[in-house]
Amino acid sequence: MNWKKTFVVLVIVAMSLFILGCAEKQPAPTPTPESKPAPEATPSPEAKVPEKIVIGGTLSLSGKYANEGQMSLWGIQAALKWLNDVNGGIDIGGKKVKVEFKYYDDEAKKETVQSLYDRLITVDKVDVLLAPYSSGLTLAAAPIADKNGKVYMSHGGASDRIFEQGYTYVVQTLSPASKYQTGALDMVKAIDPTAKRVAFVYEDSEFSKAVFKGAKEYAEQLGFEVVFDKTYPRNPTDLTPLLSEMKAAEPDIILGGGHFADGQLLATQLAELKINAKLVSIIVAPALPKFYDALGVKAEGIVGPGQWEVGVKYSPEAAKAKGIEYFGPTQDEFMQYFKEVAGEDKTPSYHAAEAGAAILAIAKAIENAQSTDSDAIRNAFNNLHMITFFGEFKIDPTTGKQLGHEMVLFQWQGGKKVIIWPPEAATGEPYYPIPTWEEKEQGKMATK
Amino acid sequence: MVFFEQLAGNLLYGIILGAVYGLATMGLSQIFGVLKIVNVGHGAFIMVGAYVAYWMFVLYSVNPILSIPVALVIGLALGLGIFYIVIRRLIGAPELASLLATFGIGIFIEEVAKFFWGPDHRGFSWNIGQVDFGITLIPNTKLLAFFSSVIIALILYMLFQRTRIGAAIRAVVEDREGAMVCGIDVSRIYAMSFGIGIAMTVIGGILLTLFIPVGINPYMGGEYTLKAFVIAVLGGLGSPWGAFIGGFIFGLLENGSYTILGLIPGVEPFSLTRFVAFSALLVILLVKPTGLMGGE
Repeated sequence: MNWKKTFVVLVIVAMSLFILGCAEKQPAPTPTPESKPAPEATPSPEAKVPEKIVIGGTLSLSGKYANEGQMSLWGIQAALKWLNDVNGGIDIGGKKVKVEFKYYDDEAKKETVQSLYDRLITVDKVDVLLAPYSSGLTLAAAPIADKNGKVYMSHGGASDRIFEQGYTYVVQTLSPASKYQTGALDMVKAIDPTAKRVAFVYEDSEFSKAVFKGAKEYAEQLGFEVVFDKTYPRNPTDLTPLLSEMKAAEPDIILGGGHFADGQLLATQLAELKINAKLVSIIVAPALPKFYDALGVKAEGIVGPGQWEVGVKYSPEAAKAKGIEYFGPTQDEFMQYFKEVAGEDKTPSYHAAEAGAAILAIAKAIENAQSTDSDAIRNAFNNLHMITFFGEFKIDPTTGKQLGHEMVLFQWQGGKKVIIWPPEAATGEPYYPIPTWEEKEQGKMATK
Repeated sequence: MVFFEQLAGNLLYGIILGAVYGLATMGLSQIFGVLKIVNVGHGAFIMVGAYVAYWMFVLYSVNPILSIPVALVIGLALGLGIFYIVIRRLIGAPELASLLATFGIGIFIEEVAKFFWGPDHRGFSWNIGQVDFGITLIPNTKLLAFFSSVIIALILYMLFQRTRIGAAIRAVVEDREGAMVCGIDVSRIYAMSFGIGIAMTVIGGILLTLFIPVGINPYMGGEYTLKAFVIAVLGGLGSPWGAFIGGFIFGLLENGSYTILGLIPGVEPFSLTRFVAFSALLVILLVKPTGLMGGE
């Protein structure tokens, strides 16, 4: 019977600790979540310089976003390498302060994300938060960050909805979802005015719905006819029913996708059902080399939007020409640091670049604010206009949504990703219309 | 006309998908039927099968059909290994213990797979043409998946019905003590059943890659675990044949309901197909709580 007593005692102790913990949390000053403009930052000269600056966040190192999570981590580590080893840290009051990244694996689960951000804020007491990957996870932890008054930087949450909740401290590095498929529409309009029929086939998820809501509005503006607009649920096994229906709608252009696995499946089944179109643009999946590894020749000609691609032309010189400050490593330097942390055989995907760029933006904002105070940093973001290897950074002051950054469009041509749009960033000509599935089975590549 | 063509096409795909679902579920039912253990880590073994197909294809250019014997050997070895290390100790233990153990085994296998092969979604392209059914095109790989599933299910049926081992397994399912009295080595039957169950699941994973040759990753099994449970319950837990037929029904419902739901204006038919499939499960269970082929 003795263990029972011990158990009861343990439970009582645990309960009282829990209650104490709650009680302690209660009186902590929590800034009001209303969307008020952040107060003016006035860093007092005697403000004490911190020993180090800790950026905290979760990454999906396992679970369904494990791919993207690993890429993000490498990108962050590469950016930190430049920040700490080359730049010496963040300059606050003339002293270089080193930056640390504290992270947990969120297993791509919303429940995990929420408790981990709570932990990062209350236990680890980090200075700034980096949001998790994906719009769904970013939305899940946003209220926790905002309620606790921590700047919350989205590097992989593109959905426009994140920035329509009236949060004060949420800021974005990457282009919002509504811009993902507009480039493909712009391009088709420019090179083939006869292609009018557009089909949308996409995942029923936060992010893709935002992408295709934006795309649909834009398509109608440009005078396209939307002949098919349907979603598929998460983790589909077979898209045949949906695709056979789409085939009957005879689209000229197919825009679709969601995340990686379903994008791969979409391309595979388009091939199986021999659904040909002049252009197929899929979000997310084609960006990763594994897409081409899995599909082989079938991937030829498939187009995808990217936040960033190896080879985009953002450089200190280009920034100078535009009269905007350049911050951080050059693209070549970033590639070099990336390979140092990830291994020689790895190439950064845009997930790595946007995560790295988010770290750089946080660092620059802290430096401009000369403080680690959340309101001061948030205010500094409003006035931050710079170019990094990832592209321009300029946010909408009220919502925190990214306005400066531009998407690029790439196409798989002869086993390589070629940037084809916009013309000023392009490294090659678009191959249009793309080869048919039958031609590809004969081994035809999307090269001239 | 277009409506009926699409419906027929979708049902054709549904039958093929259903056969693969069925085979991928038989192992789960088999193990439950004999050992009374619910293998919550079921999906992990499907994933192992998918990787066997992938690596055999990529490294040795062996097509997935010829990889089936390899999967059989790997599945048996894996199943017997896990049986003697873990499951043996759990026979007759409280259900929670075996649930936790199989759950843990599933996670362990997934993480080992991630450690060695990384989290990438892999895939391969095995193009062997397609058959034009007029209403729809079906790739030969999918037809092969269908016929292999049916043939393997038949072979298993013969094994259970026509061999001494099959008779012994059935005897253990019916009455463990009785079987023991008749001189059947029950613990060996348990080991064999678990081994065969896992091997079937691994083979199911191979056939699945014939249906979908992409999206092969360490965590792909989760989705199939869920479906396998539904199918197993649909067919009557414990009855592998019920599971096979349950697979057909599930595949047909999932694909067939799409076209019909599409007639309702203003709905996203695809998001409702799973709802329909699961509602059908509820209805069947209300009418026959033991599942289609379940006993009393």
